[in-house]
Amino acid sequence: MTRLRVVIVDDHALVRASLAKLLCSYSEFEVVGTAADGHGAIALAEKLKPDVLLLDVAMPGLDGLNAIPLIRAACPATHVLLISMHDEPEYLQEAVDRGAQGLVSKASSPEDLTCAIMSAARGEVMKPSIPLSKREREVLSLIGAGKTNEQIATILSISQKTVEHHRQQLMDRLDIHTEAGLIVHARRTIVAAS
Amino acid sequence: MKPIRVVLADDHTLVRRGLSALLTADGSISVVGEAEDGRELAKKARALQPDVALVDISMPLLNGLDAMLKIRRVSPQTRVIILSMFSDDAYIAAAWEHGAAGYVLKDEAPEQLIEAIHTVVSGGMYFPVEHPPVVTRNLLTPREREVLQLIAEGKRNSEIASVMMRSLHTVRSHRARLMMKLRVHSAAELVQAAEKLGVVRFSPPEG
Repeated sequence: MTRLRVVIVDDHALVRASLAKLLCSYSEFEVVGTAADGHGAIALAEKLKPDVLLLDVAMPGLDGLNAIPLIRAACPATHVLLISMHDEPEYLQEAVDRGAQGLVSKASSPEDLTCAIMSAARGEVMKPSIPLSKREREVLSLIGAGKTNEQIATILSISQKTVEHHRQQLMDRLDIHTEAGLIVHARRTIVAAS
Repeated sequence: MKPIRVVLADDHTLVRRGLSALLTADGSISVVGEAEDGRELAKKARALQPDVALVDISMPLLNGLDAMLKIRRVSPQTRVIILSMFSDDAYIAAAWEHGAAGYVLKDEAPEQLIEAIHTVVSGGMYFPVEHPPVVTRNLLTPREREVLQLIAEGKRNSEIASVMMRSLHTVRSHRARLMMKLRVHSAAELVQAAEKLGVVRFSPPEG
């Protein structure tokens, strides 16, 4: 059996080394290279043409999201799988829209990661478990920016009542029960997507 | 020589499992326990009395710094190394003040982490700077910081009461006192204050 050739890109050396060590313990994978940012990812994709490139989201220089299309252009055969510190379902859509196969939280189990790498290598695309509308994502990001319902209504040119409705919908769909919970979720999401 | 007994706490399972494999491969270190939040860590430290606790600074339920206070009570001889993505002076200072023996940045190499473990076990300190700046974080009591973190994680009062094993009444009065001490009036402001105080952290490290 040929091993899947994997490249790991993360700005933290300890995280890179840990993920590499973890994957090395599985006979299905071979870690062929590592890089510390998006620019390094593009260069390695071009040079090594890996089957799967694991790409951290938050990195200085060129971050994961912005690097995806460039990596795909540099080596169309390489499938990109994002790895993130947070597990935000609505953020997966963003990654997929930009050409990644999916997103795995760093809090997932090693088995989740290995399954995701194998699916990514087959070209499969992950589906968001909780799809949010574009409008809901807008409201969420404004909540995270600390805007009040009134301000959000003005910015989006919708009624305050509609904003309240979106807010309630978001809490229901994301299974969040407190005001603080929604704000935290929104802030994490903005940070991840910015 | 007996291997150094280490307990490892990080909520990111992938990183934790990988780190554990890295450390174990070194031969001089034995990872005797793992935890994915600060509360589980305190329990493991009490049960295992490790030589070293390797503690991620931001973890759910109880962050690394506040978990360290508990470890010092339940396993005083355990040397704590904070693992962190943040090189901000304020975080390093806070770790120092809380009694950490080391502070290792996640962008250091595995060899440096292993060196840090050996250094603290032989009584030394391992910090990224020689003299951490002093920052006072004593505005809130440890209990109040615990409540603040759980609020900022979106927990209801009833959930906070059950995590902390306290009555609902106690949680409500902690919450009221937090609002008063921090001079804030809304959940949004509490969350912001929690982030400012380093009780929770949402943003990635500065580029």
